[in-house]
Amino acid sequence: MSFYTPVDGFPTSTSNTQRETENVLARHQPPTTPTPAAHNILHKQKHMQYLVRNLVQGFPERYQSQDASQPWLMFWTLQAFSILQVGLDPGNRQRAISTILAWQHPKGGFGGGPGQAAHLLTTYASVCALAIAGKPGPGGGWDEIDRKKLYEFYMSLKQPDGSFTVSHHAEVDVRGIYCLLVVATLLDIMTPELVAGTADFLRSCQTYEGGFASASQPYFGADGKLLSTRPPLGEAHGGYTFCALASWVLLRPYAEPNAPDINHKNLLRWLVQMQGGRSELGGFKGRTNKLVDGCYSWWVGGAFALFSALEPAAHLPNPHAPPQHHEDDPDTNANWDDVDEGLYDREALQEYVLWAGQHSSGGLRDKPPKGADAYHTQYVLAGLSSAQHRIVPDASRRAELEAAWADAPSEAQNTTEGPAWLDRLRPERKRVFIDALSWWEDKTAAKVLGGPGNTVNASHPLFDLTITHAEGIMGHFYGQTIPVKGA
Amino acid sequence: MYEDDEPQLFSERPEWKDVTPVYQYENVNPLAPILYSDEYKDATDYLRGVLKTGEKSERVLTLTESVIRLNPAHYTAWQCRYETLIAIGASLEAELRLMDPIAIKHLKNYQVWHHRRLLLTRLGPSAARPELSFLAKSLKVDTKNYHTWSYRQWLLAFFNDEDLWADELDFIEAMIVDDVRNNSAWHHRFFVVWASGVHEGENDRDRVLRREITFTKQNISLAPNNPSAWNYLRGMLEYNKIPFSNFRRFAEPYTQRSVAEDADVVDLENPPPTSQAQLPCPLAIEFLADIYEADGEIPKATELWKSLGDEHDTIRKRRYWEHRVREAAV
Repeated sequence: MSFYTPVDGFPTSTSNTQRETENVLARHQPPTTPTPAAHNILHKQKHMQYLVRNLVQGFPERYQSQDASQPWLMFWTLQAFSILQVGLDPGNRQRAISTILAWQHPKGGFGGGPGQAAHLLTTYASVCALAIAGKPGPGGGWDEIDRKKLYEFYMSLKQPDGSFTVSHHAEVDVRGIYCLLVVATLLDIMTPELVAGTADFLRSCQTYEGGFASASQPYFGADGKLLSTRPPLGEAHGGYTFCALASWVLLRPYAEPNAPDINHKNLLRWLVQMQGGRSELGGFKGRTNKLVDGCYSWWVGGAFALFSALEPAAHLPNPHAPPQHHEDDPDTNANWDDVDEGLYDREALQEYVLWAGQHSSGGLRDKPPKGADAYHTQYVLAGLSSAQHRIVPDASRRAELEAAWADAPSEAQNTTEGPAWLDRLRPERKRVFIDALSWWEDKTAAKVLGGPGNTVNASHPLFDLTITHAEGIMGHFYGQTIPVKGA
Repeated sequence: MYEDDEPQLFSERPEWKDVTPVYQYENVNPLAPILYSDEYKDATDYLRGVLKTGEKSERVLTLTESVIRLNPAHYTAWQCRYETLIAIGASLEAELRLMDPIAIKHLKNYQVWHHRRLLLTRLGPSAARPELSFLAKSLKVDTKNYHTWSYRQWLLAFFNDEDLWADELDFIEAMIVDDVRNNSAWHHRFFVVWASGVHEGENDRDRVLRREITFTKQNISLAPNNPSAWNYLRGMLEYNKIPFSNFRRFAEPYTQRSVAEDADVVDLENPPPTSQAQLPCPLAIEFLADIYEADGEIPKATELWKSLGDEHDTIRKRRYWEHRVREAAV
C-alpha cells in the first residue's frame, strides 16, 4: 500500500493538489515512532493568548471581511475559551453582553452587527454567545432577548417546502435551519407550526453519496402540492451534513411515527470516507476528492456523535463480536484497544490537530502553511474535544431529567400572554428539553492523546456549547431546575 | 485634492451632506471589535444612515456598491441594494453585467451568487442561457466551487426549460475529461441524469442507464482509485434498484493484486484496470464485499472487510470495517 493517495498513473489537477498537500503534511509527521512527547502537546497557553489578543485588542483589519459576522467572531472566541476551560472575568462578561445586545434587531432576531438585518446564522451565534456570557435578570442578556419578535422573524422566513431563507431576500440552506432549530430549542420557542415540513426538506438534501447538500429545489404540481422530485443543490458536504444531521436529531420530538427516514447506511459510509489516511495525518475532508481541513474535525468528526442518536446501538461494544486482531499493529498503545473505539479513528484525528492544526504563534488552522483564524481556532478545538470525549444520549440522565421535570412554569418565568409557543403544557416541550439535555459523557470511552494535560472540555454534540452552558440557558427558559447528575 | 485612484470618503462628498452618518456602537464599548479601515468605516456609517431613513435612490446604489466591493459578505448592503434596484426600476441587465467581475473575484462568497439568483428570477428565462455560459467561464476559474455549481443546478431546475438542459451532458463530459476526480462534476451528472426528473431525449431509461454504466466503468478503468466514480456507480445502481452483484465480473479484476496477464480477450463490457493502476483498489474490495453481503455470503464479505481493515485501508477506516463485520454477524 502506497503512502500517498494512489494516482494510478493518471494525474489530474485534483491528484496534483492532493499530492502537494500530502508533501506539506509529511513534514509535520513526527520523525520517529513512538511519537516524541514534544509533538503531542496541545499548546493551550499560546492559544489562550491568541484568543485574548483578539478579544481585548480587537480583530485586525483583515477581519473587515467578517464585519457581517461579528456575532460569530464573539461566539468562536468565547466558545474556544469554554473548550479550553476558561471563563471571562465579570467586567469583560458584561461588555460581551452589551455588545451582543447591540446586534438585536428591533423587529426580532440578531444581525451581523449594530444596524444590520437580522439573520439566522448571526442569531445562533448571538444566542449561543449569550448562553456562555449571559445570565438571568436585568442586564444579564437572557431576558433581553425578544422571543416573541424572534419567533415572528422565524415565521416570516418560512418557505412552502419546509425550509427557511437565512434572512429576507436571502438564500435557503441547511445551515440556517440548524441555526434556527438550535435557538428555538434553547429558548423554548419550538412549535409544530414552526417546523412543519422541515424534516422532509432535510431528507431531500441527502445526496446519492450519503452526505447532505446545502439545499434542494422544490417542484410544485398544478394543485400547488410538492412533487416527489426534490433534487439536492450541490454535492454532499461536511458542513451541510453536520447541520442537516443535527437538525434531523433536533426534530425527533416532532417526527411522525412512520415518516420516511434518512439513509443511515449511506450516511455512515460517507462520513467514514471523509477521514483522510496516514498521508493526510488522519484529518477530515469536507467533500469527496477534496483536501483535509481542520474545521471538518468538528463538522464531520463531530457528526459521529449525532449518528449515535440515530442508532443507539451503533456505538456499543457487541458482546458477540468476533475477537479483534490488533497484534499486527505494534504502534497502537495497548490501552486504546479495550475500550469502545467509535466509528472513526479518534487517535488519528487528534494527531492531525496536534501535529498540523496548531499555528506556532497561537491559534489553530485549516492546514499548514496557513495562518490561524477565529473560525478554525474554535472548530478545530471543538473537533479535538469531540475526538477526546464520547457524549451520547444517556438513559440514566434521561431518567433524572424526567423525574425532575415540573409541568408548571416556575414563578420566575416570564409568562407574557402570546401565541402557541407560550403554551406551557404542549407535550413536545418536555420531550425537546429532555432529548436535548440527556446527552452525557461516557467517561469510560474518553481518549486523550498526549496525556491529561491536553484534556479540553466536552462540547454538546448538537449545540457546540458546554453541557453546563446548555443546561443553564435551557433551565432558565423552560423554567426547570436541572438535577445534579447522579445525586 | 484627490488622485484619481484614491476613493473620496462619503463624509467628504457634497452630494452626501444631507445624510447623517450612524456610527456603529453609540453607547457601547464593544468587546472584540474589528479594526476597520477609514474607508470602510466611512462607507458603513453612511449605509447605516440610509438604512435608518429608508432612502431608495440612485446614490444608494453607489453607496452599496462601495460597501460590497470592500466587503462582499455584507448581506445587509446586498439586501438594501436589491430593494433599491426594484424600487427605482433600475436596469437589472446592467446590474447583472456590473456583477460579473465581482462574482468572478469573490467566487467563494454566498451573496454574489444569491444576488444573481434574485436578478435571474426577475429577468426570466431569456437571461438563463447567457447565464449558463457565464457559469461555464467561472467554473473554469474554480472547478469545484460549491456556490457556482449549486447555482447552476438551481438555474436549470428553476427554469426547467428543455433548451437549457440540452447541452448539460456535453458540458459535464468536458469537465470530467478535464479532471476525472472532480466530484462536483460527477454530482452534477447525477443531478442532471437522475435526480432532476427525465429530460427531453432521455425517455428511454434503459438506454440512459446503459450509457451511464458504460461511461462510469470506462472512467473507473482510467483511474480506479477514484471515489467519485465509484460513488456515482453505487448511487446510480441504488437509484435504479439494480443489485451490485450484476457488476461482480467488472469489479473483481480491481480487487486483485495485479492486472491479470492473460487479458488477451478484451471484454468490452468490463474494461480492466490499466497497467499503471495501483491495485488492489480498496473501493473495489468494498464494492465486492457489499455484493457478498447482499448475496448472504457473509464469511466471504467478512474476509474482505478484514483485509481492508488489516491491510488495504488500515488507518482510515479500521473501526468502520470492524463495525461492518459486527453488523453482518448480528
